[in-house]
Amino acid sequence: MKRTAGTTVTDTSPDPETEEVPKTEESRESKESRKSKEPRKPSESEESKESEESEEPGGHEEPHGDGENAGNGQPEEAAGTTGASPRRTPWLRVLAGVLTVALLATGATLFVKGQRLRDTPATSNHALTDTEATDRVTGEVGSALSKVFSYGPRSTAATKETAKRVLAGKALQQYAALYGQVEKQAADQKLTLTTQVVHAGVTRLGTGSAHLLVFLDQVYEREGKAATTAAAQLSVTAELRGGRWVVVEITSR
Amino acid sequence: MARVRTTGNPPLVAAVVLAVVAAGAAGWGGWSRYDAAHDDAAAYAQARDDALAAGEQAVQNMNTLDHARLEQGLDTWEDSTTGDLHQQLVDGREAFVKQIEAAKTVSTAKILSGAVTELDDRAGRAGVMVALRVTVTAPEGEPAVKESRMLGRLTRTSEGWKLSALGQAPVGNTAG
Repeated sequence: MKRTAGTTVTDTSPDPETEEVPKTEESRESKESRKSKEPRKPSESEESKESEESEEPGGHEEPHGDGENAGNGQPEEAAGTTGASPRRTPWLRVLAGVLTVALLATGATLFVKGQRLRDTPATSNHALTDTEATDRVTGEVGSALSKVFSYGPRSTAATKETAKRVLAGKALQQYAALYGQVEKQAADQKLTLTTQVVHAGVTRLGTGSAHLLVFLDQVYEREGKAATTAAAQLSVTAELRGGRWVVVEITSR
Repeated sequence: MARVRTTGNPPLVAAVVLAVVAAGAAGWGGWSRYDAAHDDAAAYAQARDDALAAGEQAVQNMNTLDHARLEQGLDTWEDSTTGDLHQQLVDGREAFVKQIEAAKTVSTAKILSGAVTELDDRAGRAGVMVALRVTVTAPEGEPAVKESRMLGRLTRTSEGWKLSALGQAPVGNTAG
């Protein structure tokens, strides 16, 4: 390591501070950066000395420094930093650089690994992991379904209004298409339908949308006849709109 | 080499900042990785998905039986269950074999949808609800297709989640 040896010996810089703390790369640099702010004359003299010396250790060094000088148009400053580096233990800088890169790479790798563990399809689904949100979507969707599928001969208009609030998109279209028939039937047959949610589970819960499976019991009552109960299983897609869950798709199972 | 030198050349502040950032990145990455590995929410979410997958498969198994491959089918039933349900199947196997051999039916099931309704990760218990379509084909006549809704209890065993109870979700019992 010729360079190392040469550096220590030839370091006869007039700056006393540099002599005092030659141990670390960084402390040296701080001096240098301070130096560069000093009046031009001392650094100019240093430049001439340093440029002579720096030609010894590495021919690559100077051209590089020159390039910077040319770009900056401030030869003094660039020389103060660039020219000095080859003199003093460049391998320390290399080591520091390599360590820095290694640390960055390690951090990035670990972070990515962590994210991979965390961001699985399982974790992006908040069903049950977020109990509050799960209960809320279950409650709101269950309430919406029991309301829109419950009506009496005299309450079809009210049900229709409710549907416009709690249903949207495809679900509302389908519902509207069927509802004419429902109104007629309810009036003609004096039919009352009461729907109750028996079981509801969240299959998938994202930030703004959810998929649920809902088991319903539907009780049909016709005036003068015994009530009949039917089972219904629905797959429901709900979206969070304006702070409330709105049913956008219903599939009978 | 040239690259390292250029990073070393700008003033100390840049070098220090870079070093600190690098150390910070390593520390943060390490913490992030450690935290993720010990993330209870992630483990719970995984348990939920495992329970659902196992539950759906088990419910499908329990609704699938071919009289021509009866022993194999009943073995699958027993493999899908644990606890009381498993014991019931073992105890009732002989009688059931006779029954199916006489009826010569083939049952197949298709899971339409399922959801986990409760999960106690520590105790290893879960509840699932499953909507399915069961097709029963007898030697004569059209296959009978019916939609079915079932509630199952799952228990975690050394071989994964298994059904410990299974039944139809009752209809017309809405008081409960």
